[in-house]
Amino acid sequence: MHHLRRTFLKLSGAIAAGAAASFLKVGNSLAATWNKSGFESKVTVEALKSLSASAATPSREIAISAPDIAENGAQVPVTVTSKIANTESISIVVDKNPFPLSSTFDFANGSEGYVSTKLKMGQTSNVIAIVKADGKFFTASKEVKVTIGGCGG
Amino acid sequence: MAEPMRIRAKMENNAADVKVLMSHPMETGQRKNEKGDLVPVHFIQSVTAIHNGKTVLDAQWSQAISRNPFLGFRVRGAKAGDKITVNWVDTQGDKGSIDTTVVA
Amino acid sequence: MAPSKIAPLEVKKPASAQPWQRYKVDSQGSTWPQTDWSSFSTLAAIAPPTDGGSLRYATPIEGDPAKGRQLAFDRARGGSCVSCHVLGKDTPPQPGNIGPDLSTVGATRSDDWLFDYVYDPRKLNKTSIMPPWGAHKIMNIPEVRDVVAFLKTLKEPHVFRDPQDNPATRTPPKDTRDNLDATDNPAFFALDRGKSAFNRLGANGKSCASCHASPETAFKTWAGRMPKFEPRLDKVLGVEEFITRHARATTGEEILMQSDDNIGLSIFLHNIANGTPINPDLSNAEAKLAVKRGQDLMQRKLGQLNMACVDCHTKERHANKWARGQYLVEFKGTVAHFPTWRTSRGDIWDIRKRFQWCNVSVRANELPPDARQYGDIELALAAINKGEKVNSPGIRH
Repeated sequence: MHHLRRTFLKLSGAIAAGAAASFLKVGNSLAATWNKSGFESKVTVEALKSLSASAATPSREIAISAPDIAENGAQVPVTVTSKIANTESISIVVDKNPFPLSSTFDFANGSEGYVSTKLKMGQTSNVIAIVKADGKFFTASKEVKVTIGGCGG
Repeated sequence: MAEPMRIRAKMENNAADVKVLMSHPMETGQRKNEKGDLVPVHFIQSVTAIHNGKTVLDAQWSQAISRNPFLGFRVRGAKAGDKITVNWVDTQGDKGSIDTTVVA
Repeated sequence: MAPSKIAPLEVKKPASAQPWQRYKVDSQGSTWPQTDWSSFSTLAAIAPPTDGGSLRYATPIEGDPAKGRQLAFDRARGGSCVSCHVLGKDTPPQPGNIGPDLSTVGATRSDDWLFDYVYDPRKLNKTSIMPPWGAHKIMNIPEVRDVVAFLKTLKEPHVFRDPQDNPATRTPPKDTRDNLDATDNPAFFALDRGKSAFNRLGANGKSCASCHASPETAFKTWAGRMPKFEPRLDKVLGVEEFITRHARATTGEEILMQSDDNIGLSIFLHNIANGTPINPDLSNAEAKLAVKRGQDLMQRKLGQLNMACVDCHTKERHANKWARGQYLVEFKGTVAHFPTWRTSRGDIWDIRKRFQWCNVSVRANELPPDARQYGDIELALAAINKGEKVNSPGIRH
């Protein structure tokens, strides 16, 4: 596990040089809508700003289902359900990751405010859900501990 | 490019419950290969889901989505026999697509 | 052509890459340590003892407790003391409990006892599974002194605020995943690969399917009856080595152990046998001897960390305890899910790769996947797991 964490932490320095350059080279039309500034933000505050969600209101109508203790940080199952009416999008932020914003899911035409995925987590962290509904932002968070391995790897 | 994918869509509580598994390395750009060279950053950047021709989900991802990405979502108002398509595009412009029919 | 009673096998060449070279990285970026531990015992050879005899030293032991604390918490040193011990108020998260809580050890033990125990616990406690930190040169003598100086500072019991952090009250992990859900388990991509390899024509113009037209019926129980003692090779063959050798002798395909096609075919064949009990043929004298050899190997102290399979995976020793945040399981229940998707590694491992990783984890040189010692252990494990239902591909951490 710590190898993964090391890899992940190292990312922060190199991505600006390596990854950002390759994003720019991407020739598909969707790259235009890809939230570059958000995904390249190194702190949660900046990531939230990129989503215009800095002032998101805590909501009990957002449920985050994730293990209390994840077996490792490579594939942490996270499911977010929003019961807030007219949920338009869900973003998932892993506070302590080198790049906290992991994903944004926009819903339309009857899809529910529900998404399930698996995330990489560099270490124990809060997982934060940001929900946009009727143009307003709501949030909830849950701590996920990442298991530390016993055999040094 | 024929990257393998798996999809399943099943009616549950008046919605189609869709599960998708994609085969993709989701490289962070920092992993070294056997020769010690960095493996270039390479990950699925966007995923769209289409229900009977209409986009129901438009996702943007970072490299923090796990290798062989899993995606689950639900489509209200769908019914058995409807068609669900999921498409992805990665940072190198590679694409993947799969479709299925919703089962009861 | 129907398969003959005795399956043709190529029996001369190795079934895995030669010379065997340890893996370096896996697809998740996790690394395999590259250290050569050839001065320590492996499953193939017992190394002469590295015990340095009795040491002359003066008490009290003088050392730097701050350096000792750093060493005790350093995961690069054999996984750190925290893997097995609670170590007072500064204990890092998720300590293990294979060894006793040492939070008050500084109040109860003498300097020379602490030094001797850390240097080589075997002198004071025959049943200890703690690595001989000094005798096996994981730490040098000044470092052992520093660790002792740190241990001497430990005088207050540690109170856990979170019961989940306390290894004595932490809830063992419970797997709720459906490993046979193909939208959850990426190993099904490998199963598809195996299925197409099964139907692919080899150098001899034949595929597996040329002789095995209905694999779903022909192999319904086969993987459950493997591994088995093979007199032509005078060793135990598992599914994976069988695939390599049988393909060479029939289709002419070279499908080395742990190659993508081999793993794919192994999953395909195991998956067909899902639900059938593990039931290896233990009726002949050679198989019985192989099981006995496997059991003996599982008792052997291996590597720089000086640990045996049984130390961690039997309830008489330390199974059902925590190695840091990881829960140690008993042998029973560890076999039927192979080959298995490992979420932490992002790869599918056959059982031999699991053995190799265990070897490397205790800092012992691993053997090639086709090593006869692994065959003996695989058969001994199959005997322990007799009656468990094949359930492949699995998902494990």
